[in-house]
Amino acid sequence: MRDTTWFKVTARVAVVLAVLAAWEYVSVSGALDPTSFPSMTATVAELGRQLQSADLWTAVGDTMGGWALGLLIGGSLAIAVGTLLGLNRFAYLSVIPVIEFLKTVPVIAILPLAIVVWGATLEMKVFLVAFGVFWPLTIQTIYGARAVDPVVRDTAVVLRLRGLRKFVVVTLPSAAPFIATGVRVAAAVGLILTIIAELIGGADGLGLSILTSVNAGPDRLPATYAFILVTGAAGVAVTSAFTQLEHRLLHWHESQRNDAAKGV
Amino acid sequence: MSQSEVIRGGPPRPADEAMLSVRALAKTYNAGQRTERVAIADVSFDVAVGEFVCVVGPSGCGKTTLLRCLSGLLSPTSGEVRFEGTPLQAVPDRLSVVFQDYSRSLFPWLSVNRNVAVPLKVAGVEKRQREARIREVLQAVGLGDVGRSYPWQLSGGMQQRVAIARALAQKPDMLLMDEPFASVDAQTRFDLEDLILRVRRELGITVVLVTHDIDEAVYLADRVVVLGRAPSRVKEIVDVPLEHPRTQLGTRSSDAFGRLRRHLMELVTTA
Amino acid sequence: MTRIWRLWFFALVLVLWWVLSAGSRSTFFPPLQKIVTQLYELWIVGDARRELWSSLGNFAIGYPAAGLLGIGIGALLWKFHRVGHAVSPVLYFVYVIPTAAMLPAIIAVMGIGSPMKIAVIVLAAIWPTLLNTLDGMRGIDPVMLDTAKVMHMSAVRTVRTVVLPGAMPQIMAGLRNSLQISVIMMVVSELVASRSGIGFFILEAQQRFAITEMWTGIIVLAVVGSALTFLFIAVERVVLAWYLGARAVEQKG
Repeated sequence: MRDTTWFKVTARVAVVLAVLAAWEYVSVSGALDPTSFPSMTATVAELGRQLQSADLWTAVGDTMGGWALGLLIGGSLAIAVGTLLGLNRFAYLSVIPVIEFLKTVPVIAILPLAIVVWGATLEMKVFLVAFGVFWPLTIQTIYGARAVDPVVRDTAVVLRLRGLRKFVVVTLPSAAPFIATGVRVAAAVGLILTIIAELIGGADGLGLSILTSVNAGPDRLPATYAFILVTGAAGVAVTSAFTQLEHRLLHWHESQRNDAAKGV
Repeated sequence: MSQSEVIRGGPPRPADEAMLSVRALAKTYNAGQRTERVAIADVSFDVAVGEFVCVVGPSGCGKTTLLRCLSGLLSPTSGEVRFEGTPLQAVPDRLSVVFQDYSRSLFPWLSVNRNVAVPLKVAGVEKRQREARIREVLQAVGLGDVGRSYPWQLSGGMQQRVAIARALAQKPDMLLMDEPFASVDAQTRFDLEDLILRVRRELGITVVLVTHDIDEAVYLADRVVVLGRAPSRVKEIVDVPLEHPRTQLGTRSSDAFGRLRRHLMELVTTA
Repeated sequence: MTRIWRLWFFALVLVLWWVLSAGSRSTFFPPLQKIVTQLYELWIVGDARRELWSSLGNFAIGYPAAGLLGIGIGALLWKFHRVGHAVSPVLYFVYVIPTAAMLPAIIAVMGIGSPMKIAVIVLAAIWPTLLNTLDGMRGIDPVMLDTAKVMHMSAVRTVRTVVLPGAMPQIMAGLRNSLQISVIMMVVSELVASRSGIGFFILEAQQRFAITEMWTGIIVLAVVGSALTFLFIAVERVVLAWYLGARAVEQKG
């Protein structure tokens, strides 16, 4: 007996409904303290209300703005530095220990410093995201730039490709799968860092909304969970958008993309 | 006492009894769905005790499906496979399988010794006996002191020898081989073919070998089962009355070999 | 090690920091010398050691728990793949919610003690291991599983001899990600609400505007994070010796 698509979809929907029902049950029956854990229906009702309020969308805008800016700055710096370093063996061998070390440093260590320097601002948030995204993506880019297939490299020599043309025709396409994987991971990490920066550093955005709604007392709890759900939705949007983008850009390179993801 | 008597296990059995008997075997994938595909239409043949039977057919004729049915890994849609007289439910104890690609069937995380030890451990053989047995089978396949190496440190031919040794470790009555020499180079292939003939002679083991290589089938087999294009049916069962022991140069250059080869080629290439 | 020369740049960065910060009057960037002196007084001989042990204690429970749960649940989802398929949208959603976003809610339910911190670590760090375990086990060559079957391996032995080692390269990759997330969440949980731990120390120093002390905390955290990672890499080299060896052979050939 084989599973049909219909069966699979039904099973998934059933599980989602069961989880929502279980949530409702534990809060209504009092298994979990209702002052710290609101019911599903209250949360969904609150979510519906919030979706019509400008405050929520401002918070979403603040979060996504900080995330996008940080990702853009950190990402383009990383790709630029990574490709430049990838061109020279001596340079990248010298720099890799530093980057490998900084990569292992929990990004969060730098957050208190950023908070003292910039306070609860967009700059603080952007700095944290850019900083956190920079190191792993730089490494990924270096490896990508170094990963030109020997046959392709020989072909480039035979075709007398040099300088900028070689870079555009050979190096960039070879590095692209590595960079794409790196960017996808960085996008997810960046969102997490944005939320942390808002939560701890107090910059405007979903993280801060969650914190203030918790501090506002039990009445506002449904709002807390509504914000958490919205954050989850943002996560889904970001992850699937970048996965889609990667597929779209690199469909010609499917196999190597998998290698890139596994190999580094 | 010859080596064969040391290694060979199990009670002797009358020569006329079939080791393996296949009756009207058929396999259909995704039966009743739009993706339905008949892989095996109707296959019947017998393998006598001690016999060497090769199954050949054009590529994509369902050889691998057949092998999976014969080994009990896959249950057929209809028909019956009997091993030593009992219908196949699961993989029988006294049957060993050697898969085509050694790199996919040897465990790369275990040394050669430990790879060969796995079936012995499953059978609950105690440590000292196990070690003796491992030495024995490694020697039988012509591998000396490689027990501590990992498979991937060895050449392709040596890896396939390890796979054969591992299959022999549990003293099977029958060896089922799926294109065992397809992923090695030509010279190694000849060596391995002679190895399997010698092992069969010394251990008196029954062998069923699936291959797409007609020369190989003629060189190795006592009888060749020829399958037609998918869905598989038996086209003909050809006796190979070439004398033993066979040698790569002598046997392959004989007229009888040439005639058999040509006959099989015609069977396989005509639809 | 002939590769030691590659560290010259690393050394240069440290020396530059030392020299350039020597006369610094900046509030935010005190001289490195001053930081190192304070670091010794606070963390090597002083009271701050207590904070370090407090953090590492939570980590030492949370990380292994996340790893074991991740492997266990991943293996179950692989074994019962229909269940795995049915629950995947829910799992995926919980996975993409940044755990930090749930932190205030978790604190509301669990308070601010060690159980909360451990729960936060587990909840955030379980995912990479779980997903990699699932992926790794799905990627095991069917021929390997056939081999296990023709050898009559029991289910337990198949898992022990074939499935776990076969998925181990990916499981280790997952565990490495989980490790980094564990360290981050260990600190985040202390930064949001706590009265102990490295994170608490840093936050408290920052609020007193004791910037040099804050720097010592940051450096200790950095050192702890990379020490744990390098320790992990050392373990990985042993556990995956066969894999690294096989891959080296493959690349040469």
